[in-house]
Amino acid sequence: MTEFNTSTKNIGDVNVVYLKGFLDAHTAPILENAFSSLVEQNKYKLVVNLKDLIYISSAGLGVFMAFIEKIREHNGDIKLSSMNEKVFNIFDLLGFPLLYEIFDNEEDAVKKFSGDKK
Amino acid sequence: MTTSDGLRIKRNLNALVEFSKAVNSSLDLEFILNNLLLTCMGKFFATKGAIAINENGNLKLKVSKGVDSDYTENFPVLTMKDVIDETGNFISITESGSFICSELIQASDKNLGLIFLGDKLNKTPYSSEDIQFLKTILNISATAIQNSLVINELKKVNHSLDTRINRLNSLFELSKEFGLFAESAKVVKLLVYSIIGQFMISKYAVIIFENNELNIIETKFPSAELNKYLDKNEFENIDSYIGADKLKSRYSSLFDLGVELIVPMQLQGKTKGIILLGGRASKQSYINNEIEFIYSVGSLAIISIENKRLFKEELEKHKLEEELDLARDIQKNLLPRNIKQLKNFEITAENISSNQVGGDYFDVIPKDEENCYLAIADVSGKGVPASLLMANLQAFLKSVCKQEISLVEGTAMINDLVSENVTGGKFITFFWASINDTNKTISYVNAGHNPPLLVRNKKIIRLEKGGMILGIMKTKYQYLTETIQLLKDDMLILFTDGITEAMDINQNEYSDKKLEKFVRSLDNKSAKETIDLIQKDVKKFTLGAVQSDDMTLLVVKVK
Repeated sequence: MTEFNTSTKNIGDVNVVYLKGFLDAHTAPILENAFSSLVEQNKYKLVVNLKDLIYISSAGLGVFMAFIEKIREHNGDIKLSSMNEKVFNIFDLLGFPLLYEIFDNEEDAVKKFSGDKK
Repeated sequence: MTTSDGLRIKRNLNALVEFSKAVNSSLDLEFILNNLLLTCMGKFFATKGAIAINENGNLKLKVSKGVDSDYTENFPVLTMKDVIDETGNFISITESGSFICSELIQASDKNLGLIFLGDKLNKTPYSSEDIQFLKTILNISATAIQNSLVINELKKVNHSLDTRINRLNSLFELSKEFGLFAESAKVVKLLVYSIIGQFMISKYAVIIFENNELNIIETKFPSAELNKYLDKNEFENIDSYIGADKLKSRYSSLFDLGVELIVPMQLQGKTKGIILLGGRASKQSYINNEIEFIYSVGSLAIISIENKRLFKEELEKHKLEEELDLARDIQKNLLPRNIKQLKNFEITAENISSNQVGGDYFDVIPKDEENCYLAIADVSGKGVPASLLMANLQAFLKSVCKQEISLVEGTAMINDLVSENVTGGKFITFFWASINDTNKTISYVNAGHNPPLLVRNKKIIRLEKGGMILGIMKTKYQYLTETIQLLKDDMLILFTDGITEAMDINQNEYSDKKLEKFVRSLDNKSAKETIDLIQKDVKKFTLGAVQSDDMTLLVVKVK
């Protein structure tokens, strides 16, 4: 059983990262590697699509925290989209909406980047 | 009652019913208060209005209209005591002069808050009829307000419960993970991720104290500065967290780096590391139960790290012990197992090794039908170096024995070889002899070894002839030798200093004197019996004290 995996897709200069499964302390390193490799390629405009994410723990949220500063320093951002209610509640509980833009769907999140450019 | 009065009452009633429907259909406090205030202002043509809610005795402004936008900040500090006197009567207050009317909002016996109203547009005062109507409206809305307050309270409780559940989950999850990972770097990474995810922190560092060193495992603060500002001795002794205020006053250099909280990672009351955290994205400060959580996960992590370290240490110790065992085995195998017996001599030997790998050596090497070499040696030092040197000596000796050369020449040759091969002041005390089975003679050379004893009729002859210890320098002076005619029942006792220097618990040595006295006391024993008896006597003397040196005995009885 795959507990968690990620895949990425380019839409223009935006990279969409799809998360699937359970993101917890055990699987956090997988997301960490995914972010690391994007950052290494100087890809800083990230939309994370959480449509298929079933669960996220604070260790998983920690990965977002660990990269956000560096990404924003390079005029990029991590925008979140399509999360289910359970996942949103955890984000909300810890106050993430303060710091991250959360969109209902991927298109809006991607569009926001091109809007930012102007 | 006039028709217009009737209409007015009907209108008032209609307004009340409509209002009641509206406020009771909602549980949203803001909506209810807004509706209440607007209704009152509309009814009385008041230009200003505000509602404050009782929160644990303090009045908090919740909604205001027609006043300056900074009014919220300027709202005076008010408690319920300010508006209700000792007898429980309401004291009407009209704050800042902006309001001219205030009224209590009450639900059964609870005071929920206050409503303030300003001037009427037509500047007429509030009539008693107005106040009566106001009270009615307030009564109607009181239940709705109370319900929504309860709901808000429940939401808060729920939120804090959810937060706690979330933290418990994190703790549980981490404790599971910490058991699995092998590297402490990974444990630390998970630790920080959990903390920064939980509290939305972007700057952090984890430092572990190891053998007098600060080991910065993870940091988003500049490490050079951390190294400069963190004094290990100081932080090793903290036993509770250091918050922003203390950091500001006592560790301003760290505070300037952005450190707002330092939490110790403790194991059995000892601080083994610290977690440094920067500010939170929400700008909130850390509260007690959050710090407790950080402390808990930190301690959980340090247990895992420490366990791994201990395990590794144990493993290395184990490995070393295994190597020593191996060295001891090899050494044991160098000693002869079966000693060839001669016609006129009974030869027995025994080596008892101490816990360490020692440097005792003995050998019995047949030369030809008639002659046989006996050798005993003690290499200085212990452990692997000593056993290597001993193996060398054996190799030299075996090859020398094969040559047709005298004991004197042989000793000189062995000394030269050993001298060439030792470093660091190592040396070997060495005694060897050649016994002749036909003539019953012994010829020997003693190179600094404890003189073997020849016991004859309860008298002792020490075999001391020889020369310098092996390994000090190349042979300069010829070694001396002696040949002795042996007699029936002569007993030859070769030993190492492990016997004579065996200690009792008070550090007293068994001594040469005791050994000599003991062997003189023996009556016509076999070689095997003699060895057993000497060992027994030494054991009796040491009374179980742990011996640090090997003990070797080689006994020859002349038949």
